[in-house]
Amino acid sequence: MGIKIIPRHGNTFKEKLYLPAIVGGLKVTFSHFFKNLKDTSNIETLCYPEQRPKDITNRYRGVHRLTKREDDSVKCVACFMCATACPAECIFIEATEREDGIDEKMPKKFSIDLLECVFCGGCVEACPCDAIRMDTGIFSFVKKKKEDFVVDIDTLLSHEPMKGGN
Amino acid sequence: MSAVLISVVIFNIVLALIVSLVFVPILVWMERRVAGFIQDRLGPNRCHIGGVRLGGIVQSFADMLKLVFKEDYRPNSVKEKLLFRLSPVIVFVTAYLSFMVIPFADDLTINGETYMMQALPIEFGLLWVLAFAGLGVYGLMLGGWASNNKFSLLGGIRSAAQVISYEAVMGLSLISMLITYGSIHFGDMVRFQGELIWGLIPAWGIVIQPVAALLFIITAFAETNRAPFDIAEGESEIVGGFHTEYSAMGFGLFFVGEYIAMGAASALIITIFLGGYQIPWLNTITLKENIEIVMLAILVLLPAMSYFFARWIKKNNVWPDPDDVRNRETKWLIIGLIGINIAVVLTLIGLLSFGISSNITNISVALIQVITFVFKLIMVNFFFILVRWTLVRFRYDQLQNLAWKVLLPIAIANVFITGIFVVVLGV
Repeated sequence: MGIKIIPRHGNTFKEKLYLPAIVGGLKVTFSHFFKNLKDTSNIETLCYPEQRPKDITNRYRGVHRLTKREDDSVKCVACFMCATACPAECIFIEATEREDGIDEKMPKKFSIDLLECVFCGGCVEACPCDAIRMDTGIFSFVKKKKEDFVVDIDTLLSHEPMKGGN
Repeated sequence: MSAVLISVVIFNIVLALIVSLVFVPILVWMERRVAGFIQDRLGPNRCHIGGVRLGGIVQSFADMLKLVFKEDYRPNSVKEKLLFRLSPVIVFVTAYLSFMVIPFADDLTINGETYMMQALPIEFGLLWVLAFAGLGVYGLMLGGWASNNKFSLLGGIRSAAQVISYEAVMGLSLISMLITYGSIHFGDMVRFQGELIWGLIPAWGIVIQPVAALLFIITAFAETNRAPFDIAEGESEIVGGFHTEYSAMGFGLFFVGEYIAMGAASALIITIFLGGYQIPWLNTITLKENIEIVMLAILVLLPAMSYFFARWIKKNNVWPDPDDVRNRETKWLIIGLIGINIAVVLTLIGLLSFGISSNITNISVALIQVITFVFKLIMVNFFFILVRWTLVRFRYDQLQNLAWKVLLPIAIANVFITGIFVVVLGV
């Protein structure tokens, strides 16, 4: 192991003059400016509400959805596992008997308070029958009243899985 | 008081108002858009009035309106209420007044009478500008002190120390220019710069005295508190510097004053070093002699340039949502452009076919020079903005080292060398 001597910069006349470096910097900024002025389509900026982001990954935890069986009935069996696992205690389930013979129980009410939810994905992990998922890719959820953020079972069933994605 | 005199005076005052006050929103917009483009983003482009965005310039007016209507909050700790209120006004007024002596065009002769094309027709313009450039910093100092706040006081002290150092260098670099031009009247200076050296190069100040030009440009940056010399604001170290305690239009006046000062510094750089209103190789006499050729050239060049500008608008002025009202703007802009072109072309054809009297020659030469001046003003302001988004801020000791150990000796040497040249060559 020899001693590595690192040359000190800033002592030559050209470097002490500063001006060549300043001109170099101005050249860089001006070239960026001119390139973007000539053709603004090169700029990566997303005009957000009009242009939606296309790079949301499949594992992104968006707003929840309730999955369905093949006959379009709700898959959830109202076992309360998700509500138990939820650290924010924002899942409210009311169970009822299932009459059509496919299963024994189903939820009468299944609502999630999105203002309380911390989007941890614990409910998805806890569910024994893959009835709740967070793969909708919905990242912005805006309402006018506080009560509207408590989404009910119909809304949760209507959410579709994210199309595309990568 | 003839009608001509009154109309010339009103024209000059309105022009001074336009290049100082009306330029502020344009400069703010330029700053934000240029910064965006330099950093590969878009900058403000969303604000619109009925779909008309003008590239986002509406945003500046919206911001100004917001500042006017905000609550003007003054903390209870402020004891010197009068000075606290007065200091933004000082900054604003001094920056604004230094614009008054900038010549926008060569002396205008109408019906045998000559009018100076300055808002304030005085012949000691340089002294006026120096006086107000020095006064402007009182606003920052008083504001920083009256805020009764440690950060504000630090900002005020910093700006005072900075101006003391840089004012000396600025004065010395101007002295060498005074020796060169032999006058403190801006009109004489610009007329001097209309000549040619050896019949080849325009005798602009920057060509005759490149060292003084460099010194003056550096000190002008320092004087206007712009990056890389904006330690008085120093938002990363002392919150907001002198304007920490100001809100609403108090802050707004500081802000506007800073941009007017930038415009005034640009106008000074142009007048002293970049040939003022002169077009290179076309001074006033040449313009007057060849006015018909110049008009023909404008007749050809204006539509050609407008064509390329319209193509650029069509390519770049699009909004992602095709149904949006903003997408109709391109059509209106192009109609406006065509309208301006038709008006100018018809006027020029009318003038050329009916013959040009000497009064019309003088007025059109003055108009061409005003347009040249405004164009140069925009370019130098753009340079100010480009430098701000390129360089980092100086540290306080580096700033003083640069002023006293580097710039001041160079300035003094430059004065001596210039003096020796003038004495030996006897020019």
